[in-house]
Amino acid sequence: MRTLIGGIGYRNLRDHSVAFEVLERLEREALGDDVLVEDTSYNPIALGQWLDSEPVDHRFERIVFVSAVNREGRRPGDVVSYRWMGALPPDADIQQAVAEAVTGIIALDNTLVIGTYFKNFPASVTVVEIEPLAHEFGSELSPAVAAAVPRACAAIRALIAGGV
Amino acid sequence: MCFKNLPVEFDDSGKAFLKGGIPNPYAAAAGPANVPMQLTSQQVEELVRRNGHIKSMDFDPVTRVAGALAFHCVTDFNARKVIEARSVATLFRGYEVIMIGRDPRDAIYITSRACGVCGGVHSTCSSLAIEMAIDCVPPPLGVLVRNLALALEFLYDHPLHLHLLAGPDYSAAILEGTNPSLLARARTTEARHTAAHGYRTIGALMEDLNPLTGHLYVEALHMTRVAREAYVLICGKYPHPQTIVPGGMSSTITLSVMNEMFIRLSQFFDYSKKIAGIWDDITEFFYDSNPRYKDVGRRRANMIDTGIFDHPDAYDASYKNAPAWGDRRWATPGAIVDGELVTTDLHKINMGLEEFVEHSYYEEWTGSGQQQHFATDPSGHPLSPYHPWNKITKPRPGGQSWKEKYTWDTAPRWDRLGMEAGCYARLWNTAVAQKLPANPFIESTGHSLKMRVPQGALPEMDLEWHVPSVWNAFERNRARAYCVAFTAMVAMNNWLAAMERLKNGDTKTSTPFEIPKNERLGVGFWGAGRGYLTHHLVLDRGAVSNYQIVTPSTWNASPTDRWGQPGPYEEAVMNTPLLEETDDPKAFKGIDVLRAIRSFDPCMPCTTHIHSDAGVITREVNTCACGVEE
Repeated sequence: MRTLIGGIGYRNLRDHSVAFEVLERLEREALGDDVLVEDTSYNPIALGQWLDSEPVDHRFERIVFVSAVNREGRRPGDVVSYRWMGALPPDADIQQAVAEAVTGIIALDNTLVIGTYFKNFPASVTVVEIEPLAHEFGSELSPAVAAAVPRACAAIRALIAGGV
Repeated sequence: MCFKNLPVEFDDSGKAFLKGGIPNPYAAAAGPANVPMQLTSQQVEELVRRNGHIKSMDFDPVTRVAGALAFHCVTDFNARKVIEARSVATLFRGYEVIMIGRDPRDAIYITSRACGVCGGVHSTCSSLAIEMAIDCVPPPLGVLVRNLALALEFLYDHPLHLHLLAGPDYSAAILEGTNPSLLARARTTEARHTAAHGYRTIGALMEDLNPLTGHLYVEALHMTRVAREAYVLICGKYPHPQTIVPGGMSSTITLSVMNEMFIRLSQFFDYSKKIAGIWDDITEFFYDSNPRYKDVGRRRANMIDTGIFDHPDAYDASYKNAPAWGDRRWATPGAIVDGELVTTDLHKINMGLEEFVEHSYYEEWTGSGQQQHFATDPSGHPLSPYHPWNKITKPRPGGQSWKEKYTWDTAPRWDRLGMEAGCYARLWNTAVAQKLPANPFIESTGHSLKMRVPQGALPEMDLEWHVPSVWNAFERNRARAYCVAFTAMVAMNNWLAAMERLKNGDTKTSTPFEIPKNERLGVGFWGAGRGYLTHHLVLDRGAVSNYQIVTPSTWNASPTDRWGQPGPYEEAVMNTPLLEETDDPKAFKGIDVLRAIRSFDPCMPCTTHIHSDAGVITREVNTCACGVEE
């Protein structure tokens, strides 16, 4: 199954850069010829256009996104995986997501909304979220988030092995 | 006389000097005469207290990551007008502080992050500032390719503004809620430029301006891709390029790259014809329907631009020769005051620049024994203590008060006037100055710009942008639309010149350089898709000792100044009539105010909540982190 593992985040923003640490570890592993590990931290419209530009018989059948995201009720370093069900917000929010995308905002939620709305995604989209703590300039992960990296990698490996 | 308010005169040879006999000339200089003024906060409070129909209305942003704009208005619903307007940049980012002490080459990559759309213009502007400071002249092909790169970046930016950000304000979906009778009229009004854009009625055109579903919206998304693909051929990646360097470009340019670029550039030939027709039709329809639309976003035609797109035979990166190479640019520099072009001289444009912080969250850097670092520019012309080369960024966060401080944006002024920045200033200067070199595609007539756009699927077409008689939101958008053709034709001229160089075996795109250790001054005079951009740089001991950025939205979003003169957004909103078809304040959406603000193309997204006394209405507005103190 042709799979894209996409990391979303900002460089040099401490815990909000954790996706790149996950990608770097996974890139060093033999995940298979049909698995591409890629930094997808850019304008989600452009990401969708890239996905659409793949040959029809060679499109990704599965995407796993990994990103640091603040969610209520989680503790720093929590790793949460879920299958993206494609529920879209109201049109006004989608329009806002597009406006933000084309003007440079990089965000997991925007990527999910835009990719779904414009039908850029395959049927299987899974998200691995890591709860961040430190939100400041720098390259060092907080201890809790650093400890989450192996768990996030394991979760992604399990997703791929399980064919989810 | 170039300056009417600054204490600067010129001798017979054109050399500037300070008026004599004034102990502290810049402090003593009077504020501008005959300009609009804000009411004082006390006057506004008194009006609100006495009149129940006068209400405050706050456009209060929720920002994501970068900067944001908030807008405070006091509106008279009975008179359908805005009494007070205050523009608020809500975020400090501090690029100027970040740059201190760094290797100047870092500026190319760090300042690029000032914007998520136009990173390349900051990288380029930074490179130009460094080139000037270190005396490094790029080779001709480096100049041409740099012009091409930035033209392509603008071809991403213009459709984005027109059909993703501003365009929906004129869509059927919006008019249905704000002006249903106008929409009904549009559905029976025949379009004048059907041959260019294919829409028989204005109503059909408005349907396709609808966000998300409209064909023009979706098409704009596609065109941003086309421009981006061409851009990365020479810049490596978008929006933060990797190949822009002092002394040119580090990319390898081959005929193959040039051909790949042309395939994409040529897609803008037909698109530019279509866009011009669309915005001509939209503008004329609103004017015909209600002439009061000419007042939406209206302000004096006071504009500033440093010009852009250098001529390789003229550009030598020196400050001394800036007026000469500025005049040879494909977009002529200029300052326009009340619709008249008063100078195209980059020295005068630079000399007249000041930044004030009375209503901004910064400390004054003048006074308290602070010595003015540079009394003159490198050519001996007088500089104000408020000039960017003399400015020291001293952030001072505090509470919001319309009487005191209320924004992170500064108040840039030229000759103490509130000037507007936009690519329309680029068109206006170039149209009036008549300094364009002979070329097959663009002609400057003194009152218009004629553009001959080559054949695509549509036949070759002559477009003509006329200097408008009134300056408002509609004319900003119309000019932006014509800027698609202008930019594409500038790109064509540079593409042809670059091809000629390549054919003759000239493939050099950059000049080696070293960073000197003594004190040096540099300034990048460049432009973004939305207009004016300067980076003022001071180098000392090989590192940055001062770095000041003034962007289009620094000008446009600026607060009221020390003399009570509003910033451009503020002035434009204060002149805007409220033409929405409702007498119910609860149903009021503020579309005309938003049209006025959006026409300036504030560049970073935020969400704005229109809060009236009757409740909160959420609307999207896009503003510019560039306007925030960099």
